[in-house]
Amino acid sequence: MITPFRPPRLRSVNRTVLLGLTGAGLFLASLDAYVVVTALLPMLKSVNIAVNRPEQATPIITGFLLGYLAIMPVAGGLSDRFGRLRLFAVCLVLFAFGSLLTATAPSLAQLVTGRVLQGAGGGALVPAVLALAADLYPAGDRSPVLGAVSALQEIGSVLGPLWGGLITASSFGWTWIFWINIPAAALLLWALWPEVRAGGEERRPANLDWLGALLATAGLSLLTLALYAATPEQSPVGDGFIWQLPAAIVCFGLFVWHERRTPHPLINVRRFRDSSFTGSALTNAIAGAGLMVALVYIPVLANAVFSMNASSAALLLFRLMLGIPVGALLGGFLAQRLRSYRFVAALGLLLAAVGFLMLSGWNEGSLTPHLLGSPLTVADGELLLTGFGLGLEIAPVSAALLDAVGETERGAGASFLIVMRLVGMLVGFSLVAGFSLWEFHRATAHLIPPLPGLNPNFATQYAIYVLKVKQAIFDEYHLIFRATAVALFIGALLAALTLRPLPRPRWR
Amino acid sequence: MHAGASPSRGLAAGVAIVISLNACGAPPPDAASLLKQSSQRMLGLNGFHFQMQISGFTGPDEPVQSAQGDAHPPALHARVNLKEGGILLEVEVIFAAGNIYLKSFTGGWQQLTPDQVAQFFDARTLFDPQLGLFAAMRDTSAAARGNAEKVNGHDTYPIAGQVSGARMHQLLALIRDQGSYRATYWVETQGSNLWRARLTGNLFDAAKPATITFDFSNHDHPVSTTPPPLG
Repeated sequence: MITPFRPPRLRSVNRTVLLGLTGAGLFLASLDAYVVVTALLPMLKSVNIAVNRPEQATPIITGFLLGYLAIMPVAGGLSDRFGRLRLFAVCLVLFAFGSLLTATAPSLAQLVTGRVLQGAGGGALVPAVLALAADLYPAGDRSPVLGAVSALQEIGSVLGPLWGGLITASSFGWTWIFWINIPAAALLLWALWPEVRAGGEERRPANLDWLGALLATAGLSLLTLALYAATPEQSPVGDGFIWQLPAAIVCFGLFVWHERRTPHPLINVRRFRDSSFTGSALTNAIAGAGLMVALVYIPVLANAVFSMNASSAALLLFRLMLGIPVGALLGGFLAQRLRSYRFVAALGLLLAAVGFLMLSGWNEGSLTPHLLGSPLTVADGELLLTGFGLGLEIAPVSAALLDAVGETERGAGASFLIVMRLVGMLVGFSLVAGFSLWEFHRATAHLIPPLPGLNPNFATQYAIYVLKVKQAIFDEYHLIFRATAVALFIGALLAALTLRPLPRPRWR
Repeated sequence: MHAGASPSRGLAAGVAIVISLNACGAPPPDAASLLKQSSQRMLGLNGFHFQMQISGFTGPDEPVQSAQGDAHPPALHARVNLKEGGILLEVEVIFAAGNIYLKSFTGGWQQLTPDQVAQFFDARTLFDPQLGLFAAMRDTSAAARGNAEKVNGHDTYPIAGQVSGARMHQLLALIRDQGSYRATYWVETQGSNLWRARLTGNLFDAAKPATITFDFSNHDHPVSTTPPPLG
């Protein structure tokens, strides 16, 4: 939990500059959260992994999320204990080191290690900067600043895939997505160094629940491993699924047991008895999974069957990403206006589910028809609708959870929201990746490619074979998007049944 | 006392001499002998794991970028990365009972005809006892031994020399049979296992350099292959 306090030294410096510099660091890290989704194929190629082994890209994505999730529960407490700026500086160095490892990776192992460190460094920046903002501004003036910091992070993550796609398609190549982080981080550290070295921040002992964080991280790591289908032609889940899944459940069980007893838990697990809390947490996770599916599979679909380069694929995804902030703004407004979390959240998830159902009907000609004579295509409309739906649910679901935890646990509740979204992304993506590839292998198990040599009909046979493979890839995507739509429908139902109405405003 | 102590001192001195002799070690054999020993050792193994990486200019005719698998020549089971129109594709190959089997991007196993093999990358000669890499070690000229180096945690002597283009062409038909190429072998100081071999030069084009690196492990681990079910 992040506790604001008033460090006398920091109040004397230019707080706008300080927040600007740390916010720039946060923006840098948030750009990299989903930056790889438009650079996956060239990244795989540079570590000599073939395009028909896409399952090996899974850890590049899940590694970052795991690193982020591992640090998140303790980062707030660490910033209390060591100071916001010190934690910021250390984590920025960690993020830059992770970027270096990723950019120079000769192997998949180093690539994934780099991404895990990037996630851990980048993840800790969020609570550090939020807490710093809370320190620098008094309670009455804090809200817009915290909003601006959160917006910076959201904008970074929305722009990330576009940024990654543009650099990957340029003559610089994908490694520059990560190289650029190093001088940028160095510049920020140089500018912040006098403040970091002065150590003027007040520090206070923080009650860090290391054991809780360890158990949660171990459980999530085991679950990710259990769901990682390293050989999807044989199994939709990991080779060690039989023992890793029970081990993960044991870790989660121990986590709950420990959290009920420790005086300073990461999350008050008794809150799960409240259906509004549990419903909003699960809905948030389902929406996270839906977003991750869109983030990963739209660019890959664009590459694999629409033969787009990285920047065109990024622009296609950007249409969906653009809908998210629009939906998010409107979702907050509508929930307030209609005084209903459940209606707006369920509507958002329903629209996203309908959007995914529309995407699941895509075929080779889907990107060209125009929408009622407008310059936009039908595909643009479907992408915008999906993003809009995913954005619409953010504010009501978040507000419902924060209302459920009450004033005293609001900081922990806010962290829990991020954690649940990331857990949804991690678990949802791992499941989808394994099962979709398994289904692709099953569907093409008897589709033998023709070989050249003395075969006079090779060219024709090969063209037919390519068409059949493309159709199999489309079928795989249809399945992914339909499954995601079903999950989002369930999320909509959950939101409609569990979220409590808005509390009556109380004047103080 | 003095007479009683003498044999134990002698024994101790003897042990010390043996230890120090062992510590200093006999001078290592010359480069040519090391290559011959290592060649014999590798040809006599019951199997090994290999990784092959081709870097530099490979041209349009040479589709293979890398391969890894287990072999007991002529038996071999490997995953091979091929470049196809700017992208990498992984295929699986088995050499068994005199035939070559391929499992491609989709579908099951199919048997290749000799002319189909020749169109891709005929790897049967790579580890052939007469034409392959281990035989080429014996035909390396101007071999010189370098200082000991660690390769995959093992103490090795790097031995560098020249192999004629014609000899390299036998090893892999796609290599140009002109001039000579530089070969370096990393031979384990104890036991003569070959841990790494690197062939460098304008292998696939008269003016553009390329390198083929082999890494070996699991020496003498038994390897056998059987024809896979087709379809």
